[in-house]
Amino acid sequence: MTFRVLQNFKGGRAIIVARRNGWEVTLETTLIKLGVVSEYPEIVGGRVQIDAGALQPERDILFIDGDLEGVVAIGVDTASRLPPVPVIGLVGVEAPSRLKALVNLGATSFLRKPVHGGAVYTSLFMGVNQFLLRSEMYSRLQNLEERRRGRRDVVRAIILLMQSGLDEDAAYSQLRRESMRARQSLELYCEELLSRRARPPHSSCRTTSERLQGGSKRAM
Amino acid sequence: MGRQHHRIGVMFSTTGPYSVVARSMLNGALLAFREIAETGSAFSLEPVVVNPSGDLSRYRALSLALLGAGIRHVVGCYTSSSRKEVIPCFEKFDGLLWYPSHYEGFESSDNVIYTGASPNQHVLPLVDYLASRVGSRAFCVGSNYIWAWENNRIFREALTARGGVVVAERYLSVGDTEFDQVIAAILDQHPDFVFNNLIGTSAYAFFRAFRAACRVRGIDQATAIPVASCTLSEPELAEIGPEAVDGHLSSSVYFSSLKSPANDAFSGAYAKAFPDGPVSSADAEASHIAVKLLAAALEQAGTDDARAVRAAVANQRLFAPQGEVRIDPQTYHAWLTPRIARSGHDGQFEVLLEARSPVAPDPYLVQSSPRFAVAMRCPALRVVQS
Repeated sequence: MTFRVLQNFKGGRAIIVARRNGWEVTLETTLIKLGVVSEYPEIVGGRVQIDAGALQPERDILFIDGDLEGVVAIGVDTASRLPPVPVIGLVGVEAPSRLKALVNLGATSFLRKPVHGGAVYTSLFMGVNQFLLRSEMYSRLQNLEERRRGRRDVVRAIILLMQSGLDEDAAYSQLRRESMRARQSLELYCEELLSRRARPPHSSCRTTSERLQGGSKRAM
Repeated sequence: MGRQHHRIGVMFSTTGPYSVVARSMLNGALLAFREIAETGSAFSLEPVVVNPSGDLSRYRALSLALLGAGIRHVVGCYTSSSRKEVIPCFEKFDGLLWYPSHYEGFESSDNVIYTGASPNQHVLPLVDYLASRVGSRAFCVGSNYIWAWENNRIFREALTARGGVVVAERYLSVGDTEFDQVIAAILDQHPDFVFNNLIGTSAYAFFRAFRAACRVRGIDQATAIPVASCTLSEPELAEIGPEAVDGHLSSSVYFSSLKSPANDAFSGAYAKAFPDGPVSSADAEASHIAVKLLAAALEQAGTDDARAVRAAVANQRLFAPQGEVRIDPQTYHAWLTPRIARSGHDGQFEVLLEARSPVAPDPYLVQSSPRFAVAMRCPALRVVQS
């Protein structure tokens, strides 16, 4: 699978979490040239007012000023460490603690303050594409994990077919061929095969491919 | 109170591998200075001409010297590599570079006013023309620097999106004139056309050698494998010479053969002022426009302070030789009129197509490129040495 680089940011929305002091004008005017509009959510009682549920990864990019400690509380996924939308850190005080806080928020690129117009495209390009790349890598990792868990069913299915007289290679080839015909992964096909064999006749309790493909399958 | 006097830097490599175009650019700028002086404006402009000779390090040194001498505005640069080399100087001293040439886009420095064509005004119209009227298989050649790399990248993505294919890309050093291998590869592939991003002496040598190689093989190069460029201009046709001057496609916002009172006046004045050539070009016109816009902005701002002049140039309109030109206040690039033309035996271009009105600049191709980069096939590699 080839990763597709996002290069045109038209229609994007930059949510800039920063106190407006004048330096952000360069960021905003450069983003406009790139087809991205800017919004500045309010900071009330030390917390930025963002509706996390309304964030859209295809549209939104969060710019977070690292000098505003603790104003952003977005749900970074504990497993993937990914934020809901790309995060670009705005770096003023270049201290390890502040950089670490931005990394913990899932920042995939940085911009130094005061912002230089010539740095914005690079930062946006890197931030968004690293987010997409990490999202894709995590998705692939999940898929591989799921298949790894299903290998036990493959072994059991091979043994089952070998009990009917096939050797190991022939059993594997048959399962692979039939899974391709069914347009299922080998692991899923074997799981359903075992489930059908184990099920009493006319049982309504089925393991469906939807459940498995939804990613909720767990190790037996 | 005496008239304000402003010294304006003019920086073109009037010697070196791309000196022909650069000399026409210098001429275009100097013509504008003369015309401004003749009209008797509220201030006087004094051009301070420097020549970096195509040497990147000299561009930087000369820019620093001009800015250090108190000059705040410089009209200059042809290649993108030279522009990128000097931009930090203009940003440091808060000067303005008036860049009068077409380029590959993806830049918008606050210290540059771009009066040449953006990629949506040169390469994208050319892709439309080629894909709809010439063919779908392209062979790309270029000088080995950012202009050719990026212009070929934009071209490749746009052509691929239209179902075409780039069969190969080859790059040579600026000034290189050894084309035997490249031409052999082109003839081997026999593409529908060649997309040329070579500049200066390299380009002229390529046009001559390619025409000659085709002639030896009985191929009518101009019709069988035409060469299309976004750079080719009239003074360069003269350099190519009569044997290979005709049949080349060029995408540009200006050709000296345009029929209009404004262009007649410009062409006549240019020819009279510079009888020894080189003849005028799109980049000469862009240089002329740059100086005229600078003068208008200086007059409106009442000072040569870079920020005030930059603010004043936004939305300036000019009836230029190519038609109406204005500066976009968001990107500080120019609205220009794209055209496609074919060169003739007379060393002039015949315009084949032109936009009905000036087209907005889109330096980042925000309005005119797909959201995702075109996925490229893996290169089909073969072992050439073991």
